Amino acid sequence: MRGLFHVTPSGWSGLGFAAFVILLVPELAGSYWLSVFTSAACFTLAIAGVAFLYARLGLVSLTQVGLMGVGGWVMLRLNHGTDLPFEVNLVLSALATMVFGWILALPALRLRGLYLALVTLMAAGGLEIVFATFQFPNGGEGFWGVTIGSSEPFRRPALAQSPEAYLRYVAICALLGFLLIELHRRLQPGRAWAMIRRSEAAAMAAGVNVTLYKTWAFGICGLLGGAAGALLAGSLGLLDDGTFRASESVMVFALAVVGGARYWQGAVIAAALYKILPPLLSTWGVDADLAFVIFGAGLLHAVITAPDGIAGQLRGAIVARFARKERADA
Amino acid sequence: MLEITDITVRFGGVVALNEVSARFTQPIGGIIGPNGAGKTTLMNVISGFVEPAGGRIERDGQNLLALAPHRRAHWGLRRSFQKEEIAEDLTVFENVLVQIDHGRAERGRKSAEVLRMLELVGMADRMDKPGEALNSFERRLTDVAKCLVGSPRIVMFDEPAGGLSIDETRQLGRLIRAIHDETGAQTLVIDHDVDLIREICAETLVLDFGKRIAFGPTSEVLDNPKVKAAYLGTEEIGI
Ligand SMILES: Nc1ncnc2c1ncn2[C@@H]1O[C@H](COP(=O)(O)OP(=O)(O)O)[C@@H](O)[C@H]1O
Ligand SMILES: [Mg+2]
Repeated sequence: MRGLFHVTPSGWSGLGFAAFVILLVPELAGSYWLSVFTSAACFTLAIAGVAFLYARLGLVSLTQVGLMGVGGWVMLRLNHGTDLPFEVNLVLSALATMVFGWILALPALRLRGLYLALVTLMAAGGLEIVFATFQFPNGGEGFWGVTIGSSEPFRRPALAQSPEAYLRYVAICALLGFLLIELHRRLQPGRAWAMIRRSEAAAMAAGVNVTLYKTWAFGICGLLGGAAGALLAGSLGLLDDGTFRASESVMVFALAVVGGARYWQGAVIAAALYKILPPLLSTWGVDADLAFVIFGAGLLHAVITAPDGIAGQLRGAIVARFARKERADA
Repeated sequence: MLEITDITVRFGGVVALNEVSARFTQPIGGIIGPNGAGKTTLMNVISGFVEPAGGRIERDGQNLLALAPHRRAHWGLRRSFQKEEIAEDLTVFENVLVQIDHGRAERGRKSAEVLRMLELVGMADRMDKPGEALNSFERRLTDVAKCLVGSPRIVMFDEPAGGLSIDETRQLGRLIRAIHDETGAQTLVIDHDVDLIREICAETLVLDFGKRIAFGPTSEVLDNPKVKAAYLGTEEIGI
């Protein structure tokens, strides 16, 4: 039996990568790339949420970016409407979005596969309309808190005022998100989810309350998406409804599958493709729309040859390499 | 005593079970019948996966049909499926632990119980193996261990010997016979292997086209001309 805090090789590599992002990247990147990497870190956290839902329960959610919008909205509203510290606002945004996740779980308890995907897509469409109509709070009066013209400044966390420190802050939050997922996976919920994914009948026969654990999983997905949206709001200071269109949610889910939903590396790869690749192409003087072609190719590749995504393939290659080396050493 | 009274199940036009009644009083009871007779459907009704159009299922005064499926498991109902349901990404130990996860006992107590049952079925040495690495017999043994933890009251096996060798089937039969002494649970077994049923089941229910055609002590039931007729030409029954 492995202990609860046993660190796998994949876990060590994840901790190593987090240390790299927290310690080195802020020292090396200029201000433009700092903001790009901070967005990528926010989306890594959000993608970890959908990927978790898909990998653990086989459930498709096409609302994740919409849920980020919910978290971002709550964060901006609290930031401009109250004097609460950033951390409190972050937790409240994440919790509020978790409740949204639960609401989303209602159809999930009855629907599966394509039907569930369609319902979550409709929810994303609804959120898109709400965001486009009411916009995001920027210091105005009233419930929606929108003012035309110059907006109020955003209060970043006391611990992380500079862009460098804020990237570190987001990376640590993303790391905590991954640890939250992993902790669940190793405890009772993880076992219950594994049974549900195997078969709902088998899960019920094993005494698993399928409704409870499915709802719980959607809640965690929402929690991570909400935190990611709130952190994104903190990075940019204001949010634009164009960021949270339903099509972006679809894109994020597809990239999560392309990256490899079962592994932490998958979420990082997906976020990098989504947020780092387009500006990279721009700086190389290539049309950023080429990114979509690359996404499409990646998706075809995933569907045809790599059910575990790019991360799964890389891991397979590394394992095969070690096996060869061991045979050679023997 | 497990009391099944007038259970009727319809799937659209198909009457899968037609007012089936049986009072299982012995430690191990069998359910046999040709393919499509309704055996699995009866277990699904007892488990709560299929809602009957009518009838009752009672054990020690508890009306099982009133409980949600997972509550029946908490109450003490255990079920193994025709195709064993072992989670690929859980270890043998975790696959068994799931069954008592909901309970309030402390973790150490639960672990000790899981270990004891894994020892009983002979899987303790492989308890850290992931589900995906198990062969079909190991999966079946893990499944049996899962049925034994958490003070079961009723244990049901749906064709547990399917795909097993003769030796493995014999070993499984011994395990099933040990269940009552180890846990006090009553066991129901569906199987095509009539030798296995004859060997381990004191009483047997025979279904054909959703109807009960015989019920009683196994040897009498297997000698019943109607039962022989239902199996006619299938060679499976060595009478
Ligand atoms: N979920 C279902 N929907 C429709 N028909 C079903 C369902 N489950 C079983 N049946 C039908 O009920 C009958 C009994 O099936 P079953 O209980 O699986 O038989 P068996 O005795 O072989 O286990 C069969 O005709 C089968 O096709
Ligand atoms: Mg059957």
